[in-house]
Amino acid sequence: MNEDVVPVMRIGDTLLVALQGDLDDTTVIRIEEQLTREVSRTAATGMLIDVSRLTMVDSFIARVLARIVAMVRLLGAQAAVVGIQPAVAITLVELGVPMGHLDTALNAEQGLALLERLRRGDTGLD
Amino acid sequence: MTASSADGQDPQPRLRDLEAMLDALADHAVIKLGPAGEVARWSRGAQALTGYTEAEILGRPVSVLQTAEDRDAGLMAQELETVRQHGRREFDGWRVTKSGERFLSHITLTPVVGDDGSVTGFVKVLRDVTESARTESLFHALLESAPDAMVIVGPDARIVLVNRQAEALFGFERDELVGQEIEVLVPTRFRRDHFGHRSGFLAAPQVRPMGAGLELWGLRRDGTEFPVEISLSPLETAEGRLVAAAIRDVTERRETEQRLQRQRDEILELSTPVIQVWDKILVLPIIGTLDTLRATRLTEGLLDSIARSQAEVAILDISGVPTIDTQVAQHLLKTVQAAALMGTVSIMSGVRPETAQSMVHLGIDMGRLRSRGTLQDALQLALTVLAERSGTAQTAARTLTSGEPR
Repeated sequence: MNEDVVPVMRIGDTLLVALQGDLDDTTVIRIEEQLTREVSRTAATGMLIDVSRLTMVDSFIARVLARIVAMVRLLGAQAAVVGIQPAVAITLVELGVPMGHLDTALNAEQGLALLERLRRGDTGLD
Repeated sequence: MTASSADGQDPQPRLRDLEAMLDALADHAVIKLGPAGEVARWSRGAQALTGYTEAEILGRPVSVLQTAEDRDAGLMAQELETVRQHGRREFDGWRVTKSGERFLSHITLTPVVGDDGSVTGFVKVLRDVTESARTESLFHALLESAPDAMVIVGPDARIVLVNRQAEALFGFERDELVGQEIEVLVPTRFRRDHFGHRSGFLAAPQVRPMGAGLELWGLRRDGTEFPVEISLSPLETAEGRLVAAAIRDVTERRETEQRLQRQRDEILELSTPVIQVWDKILVLPIIGTLDTLRATRLTEGLLDSIARSQAEVAILDISGVPTIDTQVAQHLLKTVQAAALMGTVSIMSGVRPETAQSMVHLGIDMGRLRSRGTLQDALQLALTVLAERSGTAQTAARTLTSGEPR
Protein backbone atom coordinates (compact mmCIF):
# COMPACT_ATOMS: atom_id res chain seq x y z
CA MET A 1 0.00 0.00 0.00
CA ASN A 2 1.63 3.22 -1.12
CA GLU A 3 -1.06 5.84 -0.67
CA ASP A 4 -0.67 8.67 1.84
CA VAL A 5 -2.95 8.70 4.84
CA VAL A 6 -1.64 11.83 6.57
CA PRO A 7 -0.40 15.10 5.11
CA VAL A 8 3.38 15.43 5.53
CA MET A 9 5.07 18.80 5.09
CA ARG A 10 8.80 19.18 4.64
CA ILE A 11 10.68 22.13 6.19
CA GLY A 12 14.39 21.80 5.48
CA ASP A 13 15.53 18.58 7.11
CA THR A 14 12.39 18.29 9.17
CA LEU A 15 9.08 16.61 8.37
CA LEU A 16 5.92 18.05 9.87
CA VAL A 17 3.05 15.57 10.30
CA ALA A 18 -0.44 16.50 11.47
CA LEU A 19 -2.48 13.65 12.96
CA GLN A 20 -6.25 14.08 12.80
CA GLY A 21 -9.53 12.22 12.68
CA ASP A 22 -10.23 8.78 14.07
CA LEU A 23 -7.16 6.61 14.40
CA ASP A 24 -7.99 2.91 14.29
CA ASP A 25 -5.53 -0.02 14.14
CA THR A 26 -5.50 -0.20 10.32
CA THR A 27 -5.00 3.54 9.89
CA VAL A 28 -2.18 3.53 12.45
CA ILE A 29 -0.31 0.77 10.58
CA ARG A 30 -0.65 2.72 7.33
CA ILE A 31 0.55 5.92 9.03
CA GLU A 32 3.58 4.06 10.38
CA GLU A 33 4.32 2.69 6.90
CA GLN A 34 3.98 6.12 5.32
CA LEU A 35 6.11 7.99 7.90
CA THR A 36 9.00 5.50 7.99
CA ARG A 37 8.99 5.48 4.16
CA GLU A 38 9.06 9.31 4.09
CA VAL A 39 11.93 9.60 6.60
CA SER A 40 13.92 7.06 4.64
CA ARG A 41 13.13 8.62 1.26
CA THR A 42 13.84 12.23 2.26
CA ALA A 43 16.72 11.44 4.63
CA ALA A 44 15.10 13.85 7.09
CA THR A 45 16.83 14.28 10.42
CA GLY A 46 13.80 15.32 12.40
CA MET A 47 10.05 14.88 12.59
CA LEU A 48 7.41 16.97 14.37
CA ILE A 49 4.12 15.19 15.10
CA ASP A 50 1.34 17.76 15.52
CA VAL A 51 -1.53 16.41 17.63
CA SER A 52 -3.39 19.71 18.20
CA ARG A 53 -6.27 18.48 16.01
CA LEU A 54 -6.74 15.38 18.15
CA THR A 55 -9.32 16.24 20.78
CA MET A 56 -9.42 12.72 22.15
CA VAL A 57 -6.11 11.17 23.07
CA ASP A 58 -6.22 7.98 25.13
CA SER A 59 -3.59 5.44 26.16
CA PHE A 60 -3.91 3.78 22.72
CA ILE A 61 -2.96 6.99 20.91
CA ALA A 62 -0.20 7.57 23.47
CA ARG A 63 1.29 4.15 22.63
CA VAL A 64 0.98 4.91 18.91
CA LEU A 65 2.92 8.16 19.37
CA ALA A 66 5.65 6.35 21.35
CA ARG A 67 5.88 3.71 18.58
CA ILE A 68 6.23 6.27 15.78
CA VAL A 69 8.90 8.15 17.74
CA ALA A 70 10.83 4.90 18.33
CA MET A 71 10.67 3.98 14.60
CA VAL A 72 11.84 7.45 13.56
CA ARG A 73 14.74 7.27 16.02
CA LEU A 74 15.76 3.87 14.64
CA LEU A 75 15.98 5.52 11.24
CA GLY A 76 18.45 8.02 12.71
CA ALA A 77 16.15 11.02 13.04
CA GLN A 78 14.83 12.93 16.07
CA ALA A 79 11.10 13.18 16.77
CA ALA A 80 8.97 15.41 18.99
CA VAL A 81 5.26 15.75 19.65
CA VAL A 82 3.77 19.25 19.47
CA GLY A 83 0.41 20.81 20.24
CA ILE A 84 -0.91 18.63 23.08
CA GLN A 85 -4.05 20.44 24.27
CA PRO A 86 -4.66 21.24 27.99
CA ALA A 87 -7.56 18.80 28.30
CA VAL A 88 -5.55 16.06 26.61
CA ALA A 89 -2.56 16.69 28.91
CA ILE A 90 -4.77 16.44 32.00
CA THR A 91 -6.40 13.24 30.73
CA LEU A 92 -3.06 11.56 30.02
CA VAL A 93 -1.72 12.50 33.48
CA GLU A 94 -4.92 11.34 35.20
CA LEU A 95 -4.83 8.06 33.24
CA GLY A 96 -1.24 7.64 34.40
CA VAL A 97 -0.02 7.02 30.84
CA PRO A 98 3.81 7.03 30.95
CA MET A 99 4.88 9.84 28.60
CA GLY A 100 8.22 10.76 30.15
CA HIS A 101 10.23 9.44 27.18
CA LEU A 102 8.39 11.69 24.71
CA ASP A 103 9.89 15.04 23.78
CA THR A 104 7.14 17.64 23.55
CA ALA A 105 6.83 21.28 22.56
CA LEU A 106 4.05 23.85 22.56
CA ASN A 107 4.01 24.60 18.84
CA ALA A 108 5.83 23.95 15.59
CA GLU A 109 8.26 26.85 16.08
CA GLN A 110 9.34 25.66 19.53
CA GLY A 111 9.29 22.14 18.21
CA LEU A 112 11.85 23.03 15.57
CA ALA A 113 14.09 24.56 18.28
CA LEU A 114 13.67 21.40 20.36
CA LEU A 115 14.65 19.18 17.39
CA GLU A 116 17.71 21.39 16.89
CA ARG A 117 18.74 20.76 20.51
CA LEU A 118 18.09 17.05 20.14
CA ARG A 119 20.22 16.93 17.00
CA ARG A 120 23.08 18.61 18.87
CA GLY A 121 22.84 15.72 21.32
CA ASP A 122 21.78 18.15 24.00
CA THR A 123 18.87 16.45 25.75
CA GLY A 124 17.62 19.75 27.10
CA LEU A 125 16.20 20.28 30.51
CA ASP A 126 13.04 18.20 30.36
CA MET B 1 -111.29 -7.08 32.81
CA THR B 2 -109.59 -3.68 32.96
CA ALA B 3 -106.49 -2.70 31.06
CA SER B 4 -104.33 -2.76 34.15
CA SER B 5 -105.36 -6.25 35.16
CA ALA B 6 -104.37 -7.47 31.69
CA ASP B 7 -100.69 -7.51 32.76
CA GLY B 8 -101.64 -9.58 35.78
CA GLN B 9 -101.69 -6.75 38.32
CA ASP B 10 -104.51 -5.39 40.36
CA PRO B 11 -104.46 -1.56 40.50
CA GLN B 12 -104.65 -1.55 44.31
CA PRO B 13 -101.52 -3.59 45.15
CA ARG B 14 -99.67 -1.78 42.40
CA LEU B 15 -100.40 1.60 43.97
CA ARG B 16 -99.30 0.26 47.33
CA ASP B 17 -96.04 -0.89 45.72
CA LEU B 18 -95.43 2.57 44.30
CA GLU B 19 -96.09 4.17 47.66
CA ALA B 20 -93.71 1.77 49.35
CA MET B 21 -91.08 2.61 46.76
CA LEU B 22 -91.58 6.34 47.33
CA ASP B 23 -91.35 5.98 51.10
CA ALA B 24 -88.17 3.96 50.73
CA LEU B 25 -86.51 7.11 49.36
CA ALA B 26 -85.62 8.11 52.92
CA ASP B 27 -83.21 10.94 52.03
CA HIS B 28 -85.45 12.45 49.36
CA ALA B 29 -88.59 14.46 50.00
CA VAL B 30 -91.15 13.61 47.29
CA ILE B 31 -94.08 16.00 47.26
CA LYS B 32 -97.12 16.06 44.96
CA LEU B 33 -98.48 19.59 44.51
CA GLY B 34 -101.84 20.75 43.24
CA PRO B 35 -102.02 23.26 40.33
CA ALA B 36 -101.65 26.22 42.74
CA GLY B 37 -98.77 24.73 44.66
CA GLU B 38 -100.74 23.29 47.55
CA VAL B 39 -99.43 20.04 49.05
CA ALA B 40 -101.47 17.07 47.81
CA ARG B 41 -99.29 14.15 48.83
CA TRP B 42 -96.32 13.96 51.23
CA SER B 43 -93.77 11.11 51.30
CA ARG B 44 -92.19 9.71 54.44
CA GLY B 45 -88.86 11.15 53.28
CA ALA B 46 -90.47 14.60 53.15
CA GLN B 47 -91.49 14.23 56.78
CA ALA B 48 -88.01 13.13 57.78
CA LEU B 49 -86.38 16.05 55.98
CA THR B 50 -88.74 18.88 57.00
CA GLY B 51 -90.28 17.70 60.28
CA TYR B 52 -93.85 18.30 59.05
CA THR B 53 -96.25 15.33 59.13
CA GLU B 54 -98.58 14.73 56.19
CA ALA B 55 -101.56 15.72 58.37
CA GLU B 56 -99.95 19.03 59.28
CA ILE B 57 -99.13 20.11 55.76
CA LEU B 58 -101.78 18.65 53.43
CA GLY B 59 -103.60 21.45 51.63
CA ARG B 60 -101.14 24.16 52.70
CA PRO B 61 -99.00 25.92 50.06
CA VAL B 62 -95.54 24.35 49.71
CA SER B 63 -94.09 27.82 50.24
CA VAL B 64 -94.23 27.18 54.00
CA LEU B 65 -90.88 25.46 53.41
CA GLN B 66 -89.37 28.60 51.89
CA THR B 67 -87.46 31.29 53.73
CA ALA B 68 -89.50 34.34 54.68
CA GLU B 69 -87.68 36.49 52.07
CA ASP B 70 -88.36 34.02 49.24
CA ARG B 71 -91.98 33.72 50.32
CA ASP B 72 -92.39 37.51 50.38
CA ALA B 73 -90.79 37.73 46.94
CA GLY B 74 -93.43 35.31 45.60
CA LEU B 75 -90.77 32.88 44.43
CA MET B 76 -93.02 29.78 44.54
CA ALA B 77 -95.49 31.20 42.02
CA GLN B 78 -92.58 32.12 39.71
CA GLU B 79 -91.08 28.63 39.94
CA LEU B 80 -94.43 26.97 39.19
CA GLU B 81 -95.08 29.31 36.27
CA THR B 82 -91.63 28.63 34.74
CA VAL B 83 -92.12 24.89 34.98
CA ARG B 84 -95.67 25.18 33.61
CA GLN B 85 -94.28 27.02 30.57
CA HIS B 86 -90.97 25.25 29.99
CA GLY B 87 -91.19 21.87 31.72
CA ARG B 88 -89.00 20.20 34.32
CA ARG B 89 -86.38 22.32 36.15
CA GLU B 90 -83.54 21.56 38.58
CA PHE B 91 -82.15 24.17 40.93
CA ASP B 92 -80.61 24.71 44.39
CA GLY B 93 -82.27 26.80 47.07
CA TRP B 94 -82.43 27.38 50.81
CA ARG B 95 -85.44 25.81 52.61
CA VAL B 96 -86.55 25.85 56.24
CA THR B 97 -87.64 22.91 58.44
CA LYS B 98 -90.57 23.00 60.84
CA SER B 99 -88.15 23.79 63.67
CA GLY B 100 -86.80 26.79 61.70
CA GLU B 101 -83.50 25.20 60.58
CA ARG B 102 -82.25 26.25 57.15
CA PHE B 103 -80.88 23.66 54.76
CA LEU B 104 -79.53 23.87 51.23
CA SER B 105 -81.76 21.85 48.98
CA HIS B 106 -81.28 20.44 45.52
CA ILE B 107 -84.75 20.64 43.99
CA THR B 108 -86.34 18.95 40.95
CA LEU B 109 -89.69 20.32 39.91
CA THR B 110 -91.69 18.40 37.29
CA PRO B 111 -95.11 19.34 35.90
CA VAL B 112 -97.87 16.70 35.88
CA VAL B 113 -99.81 16.94 32.63
CA GLY B 114 -103.44 15.79 32.36
CA ASP B 115 -105.14 14.02 29.42
CA ASP B 116 -106.11 17.39 27.87
CA GLY B 117 -102.50 18.61 27.93
CA SER B 118 -103.02 21.09 30.76
CA VAL B 119 -100.84 21.10 33.85
CA THR B 120 -102.81 19.53 36.65
CA GLY B 121 -100.12 19.64 39.33
CA PHE B 122 -96.43 19.21 40.08
CA VAL B 123 -94.02 16.71 41.61
CA LYS B 124 -91.30 18.27 43.70
CA VAL B 125 -88.29 16.28 44.86
CA LEU B 126 -85.94 17.80 47.47
CA ARG B 127 -82.59 16.56 48.64
CA ASP B 128 -80.51 18.04 51.45
CA VAL B 129 -77.13 19.01 49.98
CA THR B 130 -76.00 21.28 52.84
CA GLU B 131 -73.23 18.90 53.92
CA SER B 132 -71.74 18.25 50.51
CA ALA B 133 -72.00 21.96 49.68
CA ARG B 134 -70.15 22.74 52.91
CA THR B 135 -67.43 20.19 52.09
CA GLU B 136 -67.13 21.54 48.61
CA SER B 137 -66.88 25.15 49.73
CA LEU B 138 -64.33 24.12 52.36
CA PHE B 139 -62.35 22.36 49.64
CA HIS B 140 -62.49 25.44 47.45
CA ALA B 141 -61.49 27.70 50.32
CA LEU B 142 -58.52 25.41 51.02
CA LEU B 143 -57.58 25.37 47.37
CA GLU B 144 -57.74 29.16 47.13
CA SER B 145 -55.82 29.76 50.35
CA ALA B 146 -52.97 27.41 49.41
CA PRO B 147 -49.72 29.36 49.04
CA ASP B 148 -48.82 27.40 45.89
CA ALA B 149 -50.46 27.38 42.52
CA MET B 150 -52.73 24.31 42.45
CA VAL B 151 -53.78 22.53 39.29
CA ILE B 152 -56.02 19.49 39.56
CA VAL B 153 -56.33 17.14 36.62
CA GLY B 154 -58.71 14.28 35.91
CA PRO B 155 -57.89 10.71 34.86
CA ASP B 156 -57.73 11.91 31.22
CA ALA B 157 -55.06 14.48 32.23
CA ARG B 158 -57.43 17.33 31.49
CA ILE B 159 -57.51 20.22 33.94
CA VAL B 160 -60.49 20.06 36.32
CA LEU B 161 -59.71 22.87 38.74
CA VAL B 162 -57.17 25.63 39.19
CA ASN B 163 -56.80 28.18 41.95
CA ARG B 164 -56.19 31.92 41.78
CA GLN B 165 -52.46 31.46 42.34
CA ALA B 166 -52.30 29.18 39.28
CA GLU B 167 -54.12 31.80 37.19
CA ALA B 168 -51.65 34.45 38.33
CA LEU B 169 -48.59 32.22 37.88
CA PHE B 170 -49.38 31.05 34.35
CA GLY B 171 -51.25 34.15 33.17
CA PHE B 172 -54.34 32.18 32.10
CA GLU B 173 -57.95 32.78 33.06
CA ARG B 174 -59.56 29.88 34.87
CA ASP B 175 -62.00 29.26 32.01
CA GLU B 176 -59.14 29.00 29.51
CA LEU B 177 -57.49 26.24 31.49
CA VAL B 178 -60.35 24.04 32.65
CA GLY B 179 -60.88 21.22 30.12
CA GLN B 180 -57.42 21.66 28.53
CA GLU B 181 -54.76 18.95 28.73
CA ILE B 182 -52.20 19.62 31.44
CA GLU B 183 -49.47 19.87 28.76
CA VAL B 184 -50.72 23.36 27.89
CA LEU B 185 -48.62 24.47 30.90
CA VAL B 186 -45.55 22.46 29.83
CA PRO B 187 -42.92 23.90 27.43
CA THR B 188 -43.19 22.23 24.01
CA ARG B 189 -39.80 20.52 24.18
CA PHE B 190 -40.82 18.61 27.33
CA ARG B 191 -44.35 17.66 26.25
CA ARG B 192 -43.52 14.32 24.66
CA ASP B 193 -41.68 13.16 27.81
CA HIS B 194 -44.45 14.53 29.99
CA PHE B 195 -47.02 12.28 28.27
CA GLY B 196 -45.02 9.25 29.37
CA HIS B 197 -44.38 10.51 32.90
CA ARG B 198 -48.01 11.33 33.57
CA SER B 199 -49.31 7.91 32.56
CA GLY B 200 -46.59 6.43 34.75
CA PHE B 201 -47.82 8.48 37.68
CA LEU B 202 -51.47 7.58 37.08
CA ALA B 203 -50.52 3.89 37.01
CA ALA B 204 -48.72 4.08 40.37
CA PRO B 205 -49.86 7.23 42.11
CA GLN B 206 -48.22 8.38 45.33
CA VAL B 207 -47.43 11.67 46.98
CA ARG B 208 -44.06 12.68 45.61
CA PRO B 209 -42.09 15.56 44.11
CA MET B 210 -42.19 15.60 40.32
CA GLY B 211 -39.05 14.94 38.27
CA ALA B 212 -36.65 14.37 41.16
CA GLY B 213 -33.23 15.66 40.19
CA LEU B 214 -34.51 17.37 37.04
CA GLU B 215 -34.90 21.06 36.36
CA LEU B 216 -38.59 21.60 35.67
CA TRP B 217 -40.02 24.45 33.64
CA GLY B 218 -43.49 25.95 33.42
CA LEU B 219 -44.95 27.68 30.35
CA ARG B 220 -46.88 30.93 30.70
CA ARG B 221 -49.69 32.03 28.40
CA ASP B 222 -47.33 34.59 26.80
CA GLY B 223 -44.88 31.80 25.90
CA THR B 224 -42.24 32.65 28.52
CA GLU B 225 -40.83 29.87 30.69
CA PHE B 226 -39.94 29.82 34.36
CA PRO B 227 -38.33 27.26 36.66
CA VAL B 228 -40.76 25.39 38.89
CA GLU B 229 -40.92 22.84 41.63
CA ILE B 230 -43.93 20.53 41.58
CA SER B 231 -45.31 18.06 44.09
CA LEU B 232 -47.99 15.61 43.09
CA SER B 233 -50.69 13.93 45.15
CA PRO B 234 -53.42 11.56 44.00
CA LEU B 235 -57.03 12.35 45.00
CA GLU B 236 -59.57 9.52 45.00
CA THR B 237 -63.03 11.00 44.30
CA ALA B 238 -66.43 10.00 43.00
CA GLU B 239 -65.32 11.38 39.61
CA GLY B 240 -62.38 9.00 39.57
CA ARG B 241 -58.73 9.44 40.36
CA LEU B 242 -57.65 13.07 40.25
CA VAL B 243 -54.12 14.35 40.59
CA ALA B 244 -53.36 17.54 42.48
CA ALA B 245 -50.20 19.33 41.45
CA ALA B 246 -48.78 22.04 43.72
CA ILE B 247 -46.57 24.28 41.59
CA ARG B 248 -44.05 26.74 42.99
CA ASP B 249 -42.11 29.34 41.01
CA VAL B 250 -38.45 28.90 42.00
CA THR B 251 -36.98 31.60 39.72
CA GLU B 252 -35.60 33.48 42.68
CA ARG B 253 -34.08 30.45 44.35
CA ARG B 254 -32.56 29.20 41.09
CA GLU B 255 -31.01 32.65 40.60
CA THR B 256 -29.63 32.69 44.12
CA GLU B 257 -28.08 29.26 43.56
CA GLN B 258 -26.52 30.40 40.30
CA ARG B 259 -25.17 33.56 41.95
CA LEU B 260 -23.63 31.46 44.73
CA GLN B 261 -22.04 29.14 42.17
CA ARG B 262 -20.64 32.13 40.26
CA GLN B 263 -19.18 33.57 43.44
CA ARG B 264 -17.62 30.23 44.33
CA ASP B 265 -16.08 30.11 40.86
CA GLU B 266 -14.79 33.66 41.18
CA ILE B 267 -13.22 32.94 44.56
CA LEU B 268 -11.53 29.87 43.10
CA GLU B 269 -10.38 31.94 40.15
CA LEU B 270 -8.96 34.59 42.48
CA SER B 271 -7.26 31.99 44.63
CA THR B 272 -5.39 30.44 41.68
CA PRO B 273 -4.03 33.34 39.62
CA VAL B 274 -1.53 32.87 36.82
CA ILE B 275 0.80 35.81 36.16
CA GLN B 276 2.85 36.29 33.03
CA VAL B 277 6.02 37.92 34.43
CA TRP B 278 8.16 37.75 31.32
CA ASP B 279 7.91 36.77 27.70
CA LYS B 280 7.27 32.99 27.82
CA ILE B 281 7.47 32.81 31.63
CA LEU B 282 4.41 32.27 33.85
CA VAL B 283 4.34 32.44 37.64
CA LEU B 284 1.72 30.58 39.60
CA PRO B 285 1.75 31.80 43.21
CA ILE B 286 -0.03 29.14 45.27
CA ILE B 287 -1.47 30.47 48.50
CA GLY B 288 -3.26 28.50 51.19
CA THR B 289 -4.19 24.85 51.42
CA LEU B 290 -4.55 22.89 48.20
CA ASP B 291 -7.57 20.63 48.19
CA THR B 292 -8.55 18.49 45.21
CA LEU B 293 -11.01 21.05 43.80
CA ARG B 294 -8.51 23.91 44.04
CA ALA B 295 -5.72 21.72 42.65
CA THR B 296 -7.87 20.81 39.64
CA ARG B 297 -8.66 24.47 38.99
CA LEU B 298 -5.01 25.33 39.40
CA THR B 299 -3.93 22.74 36.84
CA GLU B 300 -6.64 23.80 34.36
CA GLY B 301 -5.83 27.48 34.91
CA LEU B 302 -2.13 26.95 34.32
CA LEU B 303 -2.57 24.77 31.21
CA ASP B 304 -5.06 27.21 29.68
CA SER B 305 -2.63 30.06 30.31
CA ILE B 306 0.14 28.02 28.70
CA ALA B 307 -2.03 27.35 25.64
CA ARG B 308 -2.89 31.06 25.44
CA SER B 309 0.55 32.55 26.05
CA GLN B 310 2.68 29.66 24.65
CA ALA B 311 4.91 30.17 27.65
CA GLU B 312 7.85 27.76 27.82
CA VAL B 313 8.52 28.00 31.53
CA ALA B 314 6.10 27.92 34.47
CA ILE B 315 7.20 28.79 38.00
CA LEU B 316 5.11 27.22 40.77
CA ASP B 317 5.72 29.32 43.87
CA ILE B 318 4.69 27.47 47.02
CA SER B 319 5.92 30.01 49.60
CA GLY B 320 2.27 30.67 50.47
CA VAL B 321 1.41 27.01 51.12
CA PRO B 322 1.51 26.20 54.86
CA THR B 323 2.41 22.52 54.53
CA ILE B 324 3.25 20.22 51.66
CA ASP B 325 1.89 16.76 52.41
CA THR B 326 1.81 13.73 50.15
CA GLN B 327 -1.51 14.72 48.61
CA VAL B 328 -0.49 18.28 47.81
CA ALA B 329 2.78 17.02 46.36
CA GLN B 330 0.79 14.61 44.18
CA HIS B 331 -1.34 17.49 42.88
CA LEU B 332 1.76 19.56 42.12
CA LEU B 333 3.44 16.66 40.31
CA LYS B 334 0.40 16.07 38.11
CA THR B 335 0.35 19.74 37.18
CA VAL B 336 4.06 19.61 36.33
CA GLN B 337 3.60 16.45 34.22
CA ALA B 338 0.66 17.88 32.30
CA ALA B 339 2.57 21.08 31.59
CA ALA B 340 5.56 19.00 30.44
CA LEU B 341 3.33 17.10 28.00
CA MET B 342 2.39 20.40 26.42
CA GLY B 343 6.08 21.27 26.17
CA THR B 344 6.48 23.62 29.11
CA VAL B 345 9.19 23.26 31.79
CA SER B 346 8.16 23.77 35.41
CA ILE B 347 10.27 25.18 38.22
CA MET B 348 9.24 25.09 41.87
CA SER B 349 10.12 28.01 44.10
CA GLY B 350 9.58 29.20 47.65
CA VAL B 351 10.51 25.99 49.44
CA ARG B 352 11.28 26.88 53.08
CA PRO B 353 13.90 24.91 55.09
CA GLU B 354 11.26 23.22 57.25
CA THR B 355 9.20 22.35 54.15
CA ALA B 356 12.27 20.73 52.54
CA GLN B 357 12.87 18.70 55.73
CA SER B 358 9.30 17.48 56.08
CA MET B 359 9.03 16.63 52.38
CA VAL B 360 12.08 14.40 52.55
CA HIS B 361 10.92 12.86 55.83
CA LEU B 362 7.54 12.09 54.26
CA GLY B 363 9.36 10.42 51.36
CA ILE B 364 7.87 12.80 48.81
CA ASP B 365 9.67 12.43 45.49
CA MET B 366 9.25 15.37 43.14
CA GLY B 367 11.09 13.51 40.40
CA ARG B 368 13.22 15.66 38.10
CA LEU B 369 11.38 18.85 39.07
CA ARG B 370 13.87 21.62 39.64
CA SER B 371 13.45 23.77 42.71
CA ARG B 372 14.79 27.11 43.92
CA GLY B 373 14.53 28.74 47.34
CA THR B 374 13.34 32.13 46.18
CA LEU B 375 11.18 33.36 43.34
CA GLN B 376 14.08 35.55 42.21
CA ASP B 377 16.36 32.52 41.79
CA ALA B 378 13.61 30.65 40.00
CA LEU B 379 13.16 33.54 37.58
CA GLN B 380 16.90 33.57 36.94
CA LEU B 381 16.78 29.84 36.15
CA ALA B 382 13.77 30.35 33.89
CA LEU B 383 15.61 32.98 31.84
CA THR B 384 18.58 30.65 31.54
CA VAL B 385 16.32 27.84 30.35
CA LEU B 386 14.80 30.11 27.71
CA ALA B 387 18.20 31.25 26.51
CA GLU B 388 19.42 27.67 26.35
CA ARG B 389 16.32 26.53 24.52
CA SER B 390 16.53 29.22 21.88
CA GLY B 391 20.13 28.17 21.43
CA THR B 392 21.42 31.75 21.43
CA ALA B 393 23.50 31.47 24.56
CA GLN B 394 25.83 28.52 24.79
CA THR B 395 27.26 29.91 28.02
CA ALA B 396 23.85 29.84 29.61
CA ALA B 397 23.64 26.12 28.97
CA ARG B 398 26.98 25.61 30.63
CA THR B 399 25.99 27.74 33.65
CA LEU B 400 22.83 25.72 33.97
CA THR B 401 24.54 22.36 33.63
CA SER B 402 27.02 23.28 36.36
CA GLY B 403 24.06 24.12 38.59
CA GLU B 404 22.42 20.73 37.89
CA PRO B 405 21.43 18.29 39.11
CA ARG B 406 19.85 19.27 42.36
